[in-house]
Amino acid sequence: MIRRYLRQKFGSIGIVIALGVLSLLTAGEIAAIGRAAVLESGGFFALLVLAAASVSKDASSGALQMILARPIRRVDYLFGRYCGILLAYAAYVAATGALALLFSPLLGKLLGGGNAGKLSPADLVRGAAGSLLSAALLAAVLLFFSTFLRGYGDVLAYFLLSLMLSAPDVLSRPLGMPWLSKLGIAARENILPRVPWEEVLRGQNVVSPATGEFVLAVTAYLTFAAWIFSRREFSYGHD
Amino acid sequence: MPQQKPFGILRYPMITVSNVSKTYGRFGGRTRALEAVSLEVPRGETLGLIGPNGAGKTTLLSCLLGFLRPDAGRITVDGRVVDDLSIRARTGYMPERLGFDRDLSGGAFLAHHWRLSGGDPSRTRGEVDRAADRVGLEPDVLSRRLRTYSRGMLQRLGVAQATLGNPDFLFLDEPASGTDPLGVAVVRDRILEAKSRGATIVLNSHQLAEVERVCDRVVFIDRGRLTQTETLRGEEAAPRRGILRVPPARVPEAAAALAEAGLLASPQPDGTLHLDAAREEDISRAVQALVHAGVPVLEARASADLEELFRKADAS
Repeated sequence: MIRRYLRQKFGSIGIVIALGVLSLLTAGEIAAIGRAAVLESGGFFALLVLAAASVSKDASSGALQMILARPIRRVDYLFGRYCGILLAYAAYVAATGALALLFSPLLGKLLGGGNAGKLSPADLVRGAAGSLLSAALLAAVLLFFSTFLRGYGDVLAYFLLSLMLSAPDVLSRPLGMPWLSKLGIAARENILPRVPWEEVLRGQNVVSPATGEFVLAVTAYLTFAAWIFSRREFSYGHD
Repeated sequence: MPQQKPFGILRYPMITVSNVSKTYGRFGGRTRALEAVSLEVPRGETLGLIGPNGAGKTTLLSCLLGFLRPDAGRITVDGRVVDDLSIRARTGYMPERLGFDRDLSGGAFLAHHWRLSGGDPSRTRGEVDRAADRVGLEPDVLSRRLRTYSRGMLQRLGVAQATLGNPDFLFLDEPASGTDPLGVAVVRDRILEAKSRGATIVLNSHQLAEVERVCDRVVFIDRGRLTQTETLRGEEAAPRRGILRVPPARVPEAAAALAEAGLLASPQPDGTLHLDAAREEDISRAVQALVHAGVPVLEARASADLEELFRKADAS
């Protein structure tokens, strides 16, 4: 399943070009500002490219039905997709990190001053690890939505969810309801938790509410995805 | 000593469908796709599913493969539930349209399915080449990406994929759809080959002539209901129509010769003679009578006339 996922993604010229462009842009930015944490935000779009419609596309093309007719457990298929996404993303992060290291001295000379050219490999490894850990949550969320939504509904649902979670905080001030902000933050921390991975990977706050919420959220999304997917029906026509 | 019929083995129902109903849609717009469908498919039988578009054939096939879950009723394959992995390991399935990773080569596609079916990885290359060869796909075609395949080539590849590892159960949905006459023959040969090694086959097809050639029995499905069953082969087979073709100028002479032999034949506008409700021995007798009368027999065959049955079932 993992091999098929990787072949599917890296066999498509469009996806390879998109990832290449994103990788070059992110690597350039990392090298220019000398901060590996950019990998985390820069990797967001790459992960969208890799994880979007990962199940729904197979279901609509009929490929999923052909796979499910074989002696494969549905859960194995699903976790194969998940591992495939993370593996592909790890390859993307590694390539971007390597490019950033290559660009760093060049941009350091060109830009001079600031942090350009001061990228340390240890920072880069921490940035890459943080990026991969953040990807574990986003991939789980997209996979969860992809088990029951059609096409790119998973990406749309993710953006809507993010919007809904930030809305209470934004609306609390004009509406004069501070409790709304607290409610929004609590919901965000539980539904889409953010962990300061740079700190955690430096050994600070390793066991914190944020890391606990993160682990719980990833587990919950994957468990619900498996539960829905194992019960879902896959039709390929109403004849 | 009289030879004992292996009745128990042959009639053992490998596929059992009991009172299966399936409805699509929610909140108002509900469509009943299957209604209390019951049937049994004995070991080694090739069953044809026939019915108009939207009758419920694909839904039944989807339920048999576990893609859809019946609202009511039960389906078992060799005594187990349909999504049992040991059953899946013995199953070959071909959808009406082969939708798979279009960037994959034909060879990689077959290799992937060989591995998915639990095949020995060291035998992948050999099995893939053999399967492709059996459906007439050349090695250079196998190395091409699926997006470059024609519909006929995809159908052939689908048949090769379904028959990989010689499965005990074959579920085929319009396998010859969109193929050229040679492709139709290739599909038929593969079905007959699977049948000869004892596979239990369920075939959904609108190509009635092909269904008649390969199926032992056909069931008619209309508006989700099983309306009629017709046995085409074996001792329980219903009498079929005998069709005899002789030179057009000799048709009256042939009809007279058959009448003399006690066989009532009706001449047709296309120059053939039809023997209604004929058993195989009646056709044999008819050929003998014609030869005896010196009338050349250009063609002699039995036909279940599925088209006629299809019309009757549809009208009823």
